[in-house]
Amino acid sequence: MGQLKARNSTGPFSWKAAALFVVTGAAMIIYFRVEKERLARQRVAEMNKGVGKPKGRVVTEEELRGRYSFVYFGFTHCPDICPDELDKMAAIIDNVKAQTKGENVFLPVFITCDPARDTPEVLKNYLKEFHDDIIGLTGTYEQVRNVCKQYRVYFSTPRDVKPGEDYLVDHSIYFYLMDPEGDFVECIGRQDTPESATRVIMEHINDWKRAGKPLKK
Amino acid sequence: MGWLPWSSSSSTDTSKASDGGRIAPDRTSRERCWEGRDKFFTCLDNNNILDALKNEKEAQSKCGGELAEFEGACAKAWVKYFKEKRVMEYNRDKTIEKIKKEDAASLKTQGWSGSK
Repeated sequence: MGQLKARNSTGPFSWKAAALFVVTGAAMIIYFRVEKERLARQRVAEMNKGVGKPKGRVVTEEELRGRYSFVYFGFTHCPDICPDELDKMAAIIDNVKAQTKGENVFLPVFITCDPARDTPEVLKNYLKEFHDDIIGLTGTYEQVRNVCKQYRVYFSTPRDVKPGEDYLVDHSIYFYLMDPEGDFVECIGRQDTPESATRVIMEHINDWKRAGKPLKK
Repeated sequence: MGWLPWSSSSSTDTSKASDGGRIAPDRTSRERCWEGRDKFFTCLDNNNILDALKNEKEAQSKCGGELAEFEGACAKAWVKYFKEKRVMEYNRDKTIEKIKKEDAASLKTQGWSGSK
């Protein structure tokens, strides 16, 4: 009996062992927590990688404020309609520039509906062929879906595209004229010529000025 | 789908940008593609073929050379798109014509003159 008691007191359930167990357990919990947080941060960092690279940065609707923006949705692998419309956009940009005497109150924007293929570099090189002033925007599929939703733009881009897959994107083909406060003003469509579109845009810009409302210059 | 990056046949469609994107045909290759399309469609017109997808064999035998040139200058998805668009536009124009005729006829029966 005495022997057994003695062994018990030094057995596996000693105070020392218990303390060691608690300390180790606490240390592991802390470690796992720290590690979990680190992994979560890493995931966020990885998720944001590639968005807006190489020279890109995040552009929000706020940045379009203060000027009349002219927004077109399309994709660079577009067979005929987008290139036609972008040539029209280029003519409109030059017209408006001339008529506002280069005041820089007009901001042309191209938002891609095909983020899988249209990276910042692809967009930049593509838009350069039309007009240097056009700002190209891309993002993740979710970001593109969100901005299309905000502008009520329909698009049919497949979500999961295999590398090298060849596909077309069906999308709404209107220009959206937005006022300096970010409100929708008017649509410019296929039927508009550069001249008729310029007239519409200039009327709005002049109305805004006549009303004495603020414009960035 | 060119095997080599510099092979001309629609390789423009699969070339990669340094940031992982895919470079689209530029203005020059777009124009070359449209030229190929126009030549092929002229041949279809001359042979009374409307739908190059439905009447693939006929289009191939009558306009094989033009088709090969067209396919060589454009991405696959574009070739299909233009062939479908041709049929769609034909049907659209036919419908517009029909509606115009019907309108003119109904105006006449209502006693309006036929002047436009």
